Amino acid sequence: MKNINISIFKMQFKKELQYRAKAISGITTQFFWGIMYICLYTAFMSSELINGFTITQMAAYIWLGQAFFSLRYPGMHSNAGYEIEQGNVCYKFTRPINLYNQWYYEYLGEKLASALLRFLPIIIISILLPTNYGLSMPVNFSSFILFIVSLIIGCLLCVSISMFSIYFTFVTLSQKGTATIIVAISNLLGGSIIPIPLMPNSVQNVLNFLPFRYISDLPFRIYIGNIGITDGLIQIGISLFWLVTTILIGKILIKKALKKTVIQGG
Amino acid sequence: MSKIIEFTNICKQFKIPEKKNGKWSFLSNFFKRKYKIIQALDNINFSINEGDIVGYIGPNGAGKSTTIKIMSGILTPTSGECIINGYIPWKSRKEYVKNIGVVFGQRSQLWWDVPVIDSFELLKDIYKISDEEYKETLNILNKALNLEELLSRPLRQLSLGQKMKCELAGSLLHKPKILFLDEPTIGLDAVTKLAVRDFVKYINKVWNTTIILTTHDMNDIEALTNKIILIGKGKILYNGSFDNIKHQYANEKIIQVEFTKPYENVYLDGYELISHEKNVATFKTLNNTEFHTKSFLNEISQKYDIVDFSINSLSVDEILARLYKEYKL
Repeated sequence: MKNINISIFKMQFKKELQYRAKAISGITTQFFWGIMYICLYTAFMSSELINGFTITQMAAYIWLGQAFFSLRYPGMHSNAGYEIEQGNVCYKFTRPINLYNQWYYEYLGEKLASALLRFLPIIIISILLPTNYGLSMPVNFSSFILFIVSLIIGCLLCVSISMFSIYFTFVTLSQKGTATIIVAISNLLGGSIIPIPLMPNSVQNVLNFLPFRYISDLPFRIYIGNIGITDGLIQIGISLFWLVTTILIGKILIKKALKKTVIQGG
Repeated sequence: MSKIIEFTNICKQFKIPEKKNGKWSFLSNFFKRKYKIIQALDNINFSINEGDIVGYIGPNGAGKSTTIKIMSGILTPTSGECIINGYIPWKSRKEYVKNIGVVFGQRSQLWWDVPVIDSFELLKDIYKISDEEYKETLNILNKALNLEELLSRPLRQLSLGQKMKCELAGSLLHKPKILFLDEPTIGLDAVTKLAVRDFVKYINKVWNTTIILTTHDMNDIEALTNKIILIGKGKILYNGSFDNIKHQYANEKIIQVEFTKPYENVYLDGYELISHEKNVATFKTLNNTEFHTKSFLNEISQKYDIVDFSINSLSVDEILARLYKEYKL
């Protein structure tokens, strides 16, 4: 007997693979944004080095962010949002499974499928770009392994933070608004808009105490060598803590929401 | 036969914000909200035997869907007790729902973007159905509903009728003991409707599935159910066989008569004239008088020269409309 969660994950994966045009347009968009960000921050970073962050590192940071866009971009699980708004969620109630897990794996499948379809072309082309504009190689093998580990945890954390938007959708019955707020907060505080190394030290200190930078800032900085192996290991521990905490809070919130839910109409 | 569903004193209240009307009311509504309590279900009591097909009928907003939702574990009632198949649906949801199937005619449980068979396979994993059992069940459903061609196509490419067939099959993959159908024939053409009806009957026969069905199509009720529960304004108004109700109105006949030439002031003792136009007149039997074709023909042919006539009983829809009127719904 197969695991239900894996089946759900596979289903979402299959669904995502149905649309090729979506992936191609996604890649194009990511290229556009990558080049735009790099040009922008190159202009700002005239002094070459800010907080120990070089232009080469900045370019790599940006390209990784574009290549793994879907893994680091929290938001609304579109299916769940639609289900709740339209009331189709009532079917989910009539299944012998845990709703939180089901949504979690669905969203994870959606994210992974979309990342798998996009990341390779972006990585390849950005490696071919000239230095200071392209993606540099990882500093060494152990930091590359650490990068992979922290990226996986970051992706799981990204999904568990996105799960909060399901709770707020239950409360407000609108998926757009809640998703927008959660995306805005986590993108800003997670370093997706301004790379965290470019922020003032005082701000960085505060962000270290929030979960958001462990989604993508940590893996990317391990990759470019901005965070060393020892530091990296400690911070991976912190990100694991956040992963468990956000999942627990999410589960409690969804449980609370389900108790109050009223399916209206027809 | 054992009782599979028992509802005792179930009540359900909804709290909804009350909106005032007026030019600036949207502002005051924004700051101060008044809530109104709506009694959706008021002391509902009934029981259903295993293997029954029960029609659950009532006008729009009577509380049908609310009841179905409580029965399928989606809603928690405000008060009252309900035991279905040995479980309290909303308390032990996960164990309970293994043995029920639900189809909401206006919603979809299958995945929109992928072939139907993929949805089925996911359902198979969700319900932990073994390979052999799944194959066997799918085979039965396939034959009964003619699904073969549909299974490889994504749901979004199917027509409404094809979709409904797939939804029905999807809700039965795990061979539930109880099947809830909320308006399963809504929007379907005549052929598909008949197919769905036959299928529901078939399933009830081969698996002894208890089926609870809400619908506004009275022909569904007539063709399928052996018992109806009529609900209105949150209360149960009638609980029994549909034939009983039909008997009550069996005496009422509508007779249309065509004359050879137009008459003025058509009148017949013992019958009510409903309409009269040129040479066609329509009569109705008076309350609870039995209709005899012979005596009617005798009487009318003595007075008028008739070419043709037809006798009609009340249609099931008319009977229901009459019922609603009687109960002031």
